[in-house]
Amino acid sequence: MMSELILVIILLPLLSALFMHLLAGRLGRCVARISVAATLLSTLFSGVLLWLSLSGDLVDKSISISPWTILYFDSLSILMALVIGLISLVVHIYSLRYMAEESGYARFFVLLDLMTASLLLMVAAGDLITLIIAWHFVGVFLYFLLGQDTRNPSAYRYAFWTLITYRIGDLPLVLAAVLLFQAYGTWSLPIIFEQLNQAPNAHSVFGLPLPEVIGILIALAAFARSAQFLLHTWLPYTMDGPTPVSALMHAGIVNAGGFLINRFAPVFANTSDVLQWVFIVGFISAIIGSVLMLVQNDIKKSLGYSTMGQMGFMIMECGIGAFSLAIYHLIAHGVFKGTLFLSTGSVIHAARKDDGVPKDELYTFVVEKRPAISRKPWLLMAAITLAVPLAILIASHWLVAEDYFQKQGAIILLFFGWITGAQLIFATYRTHAQNLWRLLIISILSFAVVILGYIFISHAFEVYLYPDAAFREKLFVAASIEKIRFDILVGVITLTIVLGWLVAYYFERNRNGKHPKYTGRLWTMFYALISRELYLTDLYSLLTRTILSSANKLNVWLRWN
Amino acid sequence: MPDIIILLAGLFLPLFPLSMVFNALFDRLQHVVLRCVLLIGWPHIGLAIIHSTDTNVPTWIISWALATSLLYALRMLALRGVGQWNSFLATSMWAMLWLTTTDMNQSMLHIYTFGVTAPLVLLALLSAGLEKRFGAAYTGLYDGLAQSIPRFAGVLVVVILAAIATPLFPGFFIMLKLIMDTSLAMPAATFALLIIWLLWSWAGVRLLQGLIVGPASQGEVADLNLMSCWSYVIALIALMLSGIYLSGGLL
Repeated sequence: MMSELILVIILLPLLSALFMHLLAGRLGRCVARISVAATLLSTLFSGVLLWLSLSGDLVDKSISISPWTILYFDSLSILMALVIGLISLVVHIYSLRYMAEESGYARFFVLLDLMTASLLLMVAAGDLITLIIAWHFVGVFLYFLLGQDTRNPSAYRYAFWTLITYRIGDLPLVLAAVLLFQAYGTWSLPIIFEQLNQAPNAHSVFGLPLPEVIGILIALAAFARSAQFLLHTWLPYTMDGPTPVSALMHAGIVNAGGFLINRFAPVFANTSDVLQWVFIVGFISAIIGSVLMLVQNDIKKSLGYSTMGQMGFMIMECGIGAFSLAIYHLIAHGVFKGTLFLSTGSVIHAARKDDGVPKDELYTFVVEKRPAISRKPWLLMAAITLAVPLAILIASHWLVAEDYFQKQGAIILLFFGWITGAQLIFATYRTHAQNLWRLLIISILSFAVVILGYIFISHAFEVYLYPDAAFREKLFVAASIEKIRFDILVGVITLTIVLGWLVAYYFERNRNGKHPKYTGRLWTMFYALISRELYLTDLYSLLTRTILSSANKLNVWLRWN
Repeated sequence: MPDIIILLAGLFLPLFPLSMVFNALFDRLQHVVLRCVLLIGWPHIGLAIIHSTDTNVPTWIISWALATSLLYALRMLALRGVGQWNSFLATSMWAMLWLTTTDMNQSMLHIYTFGVTAPLVLLALLSAGLEKRFGAAYTGLYDGLAQSIPRFAGVLVVVILAAIATPLFPGFFIMLKLIMDTSLAMPAATFALLIIWLLWSWAGVRLLQGLIVGPASQGEVADLNLMSCWSYVIALIALMLSGIYLSGGLL
């Protein structure tokens, strides 16, 4: 009986949307409280289900309403339902006052409820058609939420970019669904996964194993939704929508790619090369997103590229077989990015009083009469930045599992933890703080807590989401590459890191010295390239204009008939 | 199938350049009732002609039909007239029906043809409503319908979504069925179908943005009355429910 709650969880926001639409004229702005109450109830029920699931009182189950209306009730859907409920609830409560002065107040909450219901349906979909429908609706409702201010053509222009990218991502999912149906004769996901696990190579498409083809198609759908490189341009530009929508988008909707890959984990576990490509795409997106973030002078665009980088990291985690880690990452990212967006108003308000920009050293010495900051030896700092993160990571991995280093994914993650930790400590050093050692110790401690938490919590997620150890191992095997290729890769990355540090050291030592002309020119070219966002938006705009002009020419030639 | 029958059927399940006849006729007919009758009746004549012969549709017709559908889907992107957009979408949709004529039950095919055409009939009615209010149903002439006539704009949005095969409306299930039928036998056709679907979405959004977005530029304009609004809502819900119900036969 409790499992039927999942149906109630989805129906509540739907009913709320309906009642809000019908009662908006009579109740005025108070009508939004219906929406908040429904979301609260839905979230509470999700919490109850998660509690029951954790305590072992619930087992995986699917509720079949028709051959293609099945709700799947497993640990992934329950966990994601709670996450969606919580983020949606925060956004609802925040919007009560934030949107009070805006026109279309009731419409906004109706759309918010419809979006929540679509997201909940998406995570609980137990068949391919329901998944496609929910997946499609998320894109449609997001378009209208981003265009909440119907007077603003610019908001709609960028909402269109989002919609069209999402539609591009819908198509591989549709194709994957149809191919799976052709192979297994059912739309039901649990049945398909069961049959796939029993005989992974029973079907092929045009000579290729079915899991490989499906894996590629699902990955493509996930890339479009999670703003991976080449399909990312919509994300940094959709900032004209209301702030709560930005928060919902960056904290929840954009993470759908990670969810989709996890939902199809049984398919990916039976692939041989797909996850490596997923890793490469995630890696490129993480690097490019982070680089583009650094050159933005618009804080919201910068946050957009930061999300792209984070999504790249999440996809990369899937690519190394750490599927549950990607789920933890998307939750953690959702919480902090949601907080960032919802607090932007307060930040702007505070910045009007104090811009928070650190004073120049000369200014503090001459005007404020403070002593000059004594600089710590650079090499000592470099050694700390490299050694401390490494030590923390090694310790934390040993605490979780002794054979952790035999897994390639763990080593790749270790590298990223290492680089991130080093960056953090280096950035702390460059802040020229008065009490550098104190700040450094706090940073290192925070870093240790984050890494340890990351590893322990992700381990807990792993056990909860994928309790079958053999299946987890299968995912890691599917993601691994030949030992020799892996060793070369690790060698190249290590060399790149060391070289990077040498270059950083060289420039730090010659801060005020003259650099050769060619490095200056190269640097300017590189800066121009990334400040124009790799010319991708220009390229896509040109492509769009060409298609539209061709359509127009065709119409003229054919006399509009 | 004899060539003369193909040519005749190609007039009603439009194949380019025969498709130009339907579009010219639709453009010429200014009365909304006549337009609706044309939309409802035209493809059924084509289906009846095909079903009058027992022979199968030759495979080369499929490529011709898909090329026609793709051509009109592409051309829709540059249209500003709502009426013309409607007739181009009808052409693009009906051309696809050639793919279903071989394996689908006759009566089911007629029902689904009606299902995909019904949103176009609603759009024709709305187009007439725009002409009545503003003198023309044209994007870019008067922005901001969402501000000036919100009820009308809301109905217009849902009708256009239904027309471009958004889930739960019959067009969505027909598209799924077509993709299912072609995915293994004709992968190129599947790819073309997906592109056509994408182009419809693009064209639909362009049409919407040209009508509903922006500050209201007109003076007092009468919005859709409650009665008409509920009629549209009931029609759309019926369409959605029939799409879901009848999908059992397709999927």
